[in-house]
Amino acid sequence: MTAVLILLPSVLLVGYFVYASIGWNVVVSLSNWEGLEPRYGIVGFPRYAELLNDPVFWISLKNNLLLILLFVPSSILLGLFLAILLDVKVRAEGVFRTVYLLPFALSFVITASLWAWMYDPEVGVLNILLENVGLGFLKSGWVTDSSIAMYCVILALTWQFSGYTMLVFLAGLRSIPESQVMAAEVDGAYGFSLYRRIMIPQLKSSVLAVFVILMVFALKGFDFIYILTGGGPGYSTFVLPLEMFRETFSMTHFAYGAAIATVLFVIVMLIVVPYLYMSSRRREE
Amino acid sequence: MKFPKPRRILLYILLILFAFAFVLPFWTGFTTSLKTKRDVIYTTPVEPPPSLTLEPWIEAFNIMEKPLFNSLIFTLLATIFSCIIGSINGYVLSKIRFKGSDLVFLFFSIGIFIPYQTVLIPLVLTMSRLRLYNTIEGLILAHTAYGIPICTLLFRNSYKEIPDSLIMAAKTDGAGTWAIYRRILLPLSSAPFVVAGVFQFTSIWNDFLFGLVLARGSEALPASVALANLKGTTTAFWNVQMAGALWYALPVIIVYLILGKYLVKGYMAGAVKG
Amino acid sequence: MVRVVIKNLTKKFGEVVAVKNLNLEIEEKEFFILLGPSGCGKSTALLCVAGLLKPDEGEIWIDDKLVTAPEQDVYVSPQEREVAMVFQDYALYPHMTVFQNIAFPLEIRKKSKSEIEKRVKTTAELLGISQLQDRKPRQLSGGQRQRVALGRAIVREPKIFLMDEPLANLDAKLRVRMRVELKKLHQKLGTTTVYVTHDQVEAMSLGDRVAVLKDGILQQVDTPRELYDAPKNTFVAGFIGSPPMNMIEGNLAEKNEILVIDLGVTMFEPPSWMEKKMKEAKESKVILGFRPENTTLAKKCQKNAIEANVDMLELIGRELHVHLTVGECSFVAITTPTEDVKVGENVWMMLDEKKSHIFDGRTGERLI
Repeated sequence: MTAVLILLPSVLLVGYFVYASIGWNVVVSLSNWEGLEPRYGIVGFPRYAELLNDPVFWISLKNNLLLILLFVPSSILLGLFLAILLDVKVRAEGVFRTVYLLPFALSFVITASLWAWMYDPEVGVLNILLENVGLGFLKSGWVTDSSIAMYCVILALTWQFSGYTMLVFLAGLRSIPESQVMAAEVDGAYGFSLYRRIMIPQLKSSVLAVFVILMVFALKGFDFIYILTGGGPGYSTFVLPLEMFRETFSMTHFAYGAAIATVLFVIVMLIVVPYLYMSSRRREE
Repeated sequence: MKFPKPRRILLYILLILFAFAFVLPFWTGFTTSLKTKRDVIYTTPVEPPPSLTLEPWIEAFNIMEKPLFNSLIFTLLATIFSCIIGSINGYVLSKIRFKGSDLVFLFFSIGIFIPYQTVLIPLVLTMSRLRLYNTIEGLILAHTAYGIPICTLLFRNSYKEIPDSLIMAAKTDGAGTWAIYRRILLPLSSAPFVVAGVFQFTSIWNDFLFGLVLARGSEALPASVALANLKGTTTAFWNVQMAGALWYALPVIIVYLILGKYLVKGYMAGAVKG
Repeated sequence: MVRVVIKNLTKKFGEVVAVKNLNLEIEEKEFFILLGPSGCGKSTALLCVAGLLKPDEGEIWIDDKLVTAPEQDVYVSPQEREVAMVFQDYALYPHMTVFQNIAFPLEIRKKSKSEIEKRVKTTAELLGISQLQDRKPRQLSGGQRQRVALGRAIVREPKIFLMDEPLANLDAKLRVRMRVELKKLHQKLGTTTVYVTHDQVEAMSLGDRVAVLKDGILQQVDTPRELYDAPKNTFVAGFIGSPPMNMIEGNLAEKNEILVIDLGVTMFEPPSWMEKKMKEAKESKVILGFRPENTTLAKKCQKNAIEANVDMLELIGRELHVHLTVGECSFVAITTPTEDVKVGENVWMMLDEKKSHIFDGRTGERLI
């Protein structure tokens, strides 16, 4: 009984700020609210219909999909690669780990600022470096070029997250008992086949956990893109959270923004809930 | 003995190459922050400053002084509050058996994964109703409330490692619920407090969305938003922007270098804000 | 028909010398045991033979081929040594089935599918695990996992088997059964085997010869019989046999021109055949050793008997272990369950002189 009492304040807080707020948001999405004065009359689903006809919505959705299809796998692969490199016990391992993980610890505002500086077409380091090594023809507008801006965003985000995936995979590799590695060596497995046949297959649960977390980020990440490109040039780097923000806070289309937020919520839950269910079941095994 | 000698050199080369790639953004930011405007334009970003100047740093600090202070206040307070609450919740959920404790835990866990966009509008409405819009107190409330789930998770997982037999021994010795927490669990909590504290500190300090939405143009302006503003303006040139970014990064870098291993433990617990 | 020769093997871990100057010659088809307490260097030596550890000094020859010689820059990788190893925790690959685990060493060597299937099948039948082929390790019991680990080693038909305390994680009853099965397996396959254990019962029952190690130094290499009856020093004498050999310190003295051992509580007059050897003793301090089963208890004082007080009785099935104390020392005497002794009684313990030993009090070396 005391337990319930102790937990009550937190439950109420979280219940309000999370669950009730989600519900409230759905209600707003079903209304007509535009402008600074809240209007609560429920009118049903016209906002959602508007979404389907909104080209910016589809661009944003496409970009989110692009993030899922490119950012997630490349962060996982790069992290796995770095983890394998470090698993063999190199000297100064701690230094390398610190360097690779640092971007992840920092705010997106910082990293986006740094990349904005790097990507600057006139004085940014990327173009200048390319020029100096004679690859000047590869120079580009980077994030000012709408055809490749999104890919620049993806590259920068991979840089930021690979340290995290590396961390998780390194821990996973290290949790494999030494005797198994020895057994595999005696059985005849060398470097690559050792990793491919014995160690990587045992990383399944780590990969899954990281996959889910990165996927959720690919859907809800806002800060970085807002700072680096603001969604531009044009709408080429728009993502759902950005559109939600712009509609709601710049254009005061609150109901519409709420609809976008609800769609976002549903997509995220479609990923998270099965994962939580699966992992709690696996823990019971 | 997983890779023979010749391959090892290749290993180091790859590691160092990637290390350079990872450090490059920081290096260019750092060198730029110490250059005069002229040098920024006329030297490549990788070159060190020909004429070292602290001007950008001073200018950036002038702009960001109050926001940095704001961030420090609400970050520290929200961290302390969410950690204490998380610790107590973690205790109850890991050591006191009651019907539905798993459900309550799930209740909190989902709160870790939600995209904040989903609750943004209600949050703004709530804050303005409570007259906490554009205030530090409002930011503290928001960050504490949304920090409870992850702190609860961290503490609960940590307390699960403490053998139940300790609690049972304390009970037979006559200790009540609160006494068990205060005299048995709390003294053993220094590690989880550091882990949760460091994790929350960096998460809240790094936050941008809440700051942007709840305290944008005001006395309570957080450092993250101030830095973003810096980028948008034409008056602050690249060197000042980089200096500003580095000022903002400083506390986190310090925490990362000194208490990094605790931060890592927090990351490994399987959740990330952002 | 493979021999293993180890010459002057030394391996250090930082300051600690795990194995010091080890010299062993393991004959073909031998079931050879490395025995000793934890930290004595036996596992280290085994890993060096496998090629999983590189020693600092020495040579290792397998099948008359030099595979390790750090001073001559010779090192053959474990993958190429054609040895098979069984680990204490079995080290099965958890994501593979039993079949795949056993097939792995063949697969890595790119054997044909049909050959793999045939050989795995035969091995599984040999070990009685054919019905488990599609299961994963986590679905198996300890004994079954043990057999899969063995299967993985056997299927390769390697030159030698290396086993690192493979039975240590099994419960007592299973351990006894597996010991018998291992012995039978060895008789059937005839592969040279090097086996590490800290359990002297295991060593005695399984080994053709046993090497006893302490702190990285070889104490004695002999058949189990010899180790038991003729231990080289007090360490081997006390390590082999359970309950351990009784040992009591004494000083050589002269009494009536006969050499005796002053044990404090009594004078021990050695029989004449011992006297000559004892005269050669360089030290006056000696240790008298005698096994619990080589004692008899008497109610009255006898010549060369030691008076002791009965501390505790342990009835172990067909034996009665009588725990005795003499001053500060304790002893165990093994006798029949029908012996008439009670706790607290004073009895006289007599030793079978022919089976007693005398050790140098300072070095521990056996004199007699």
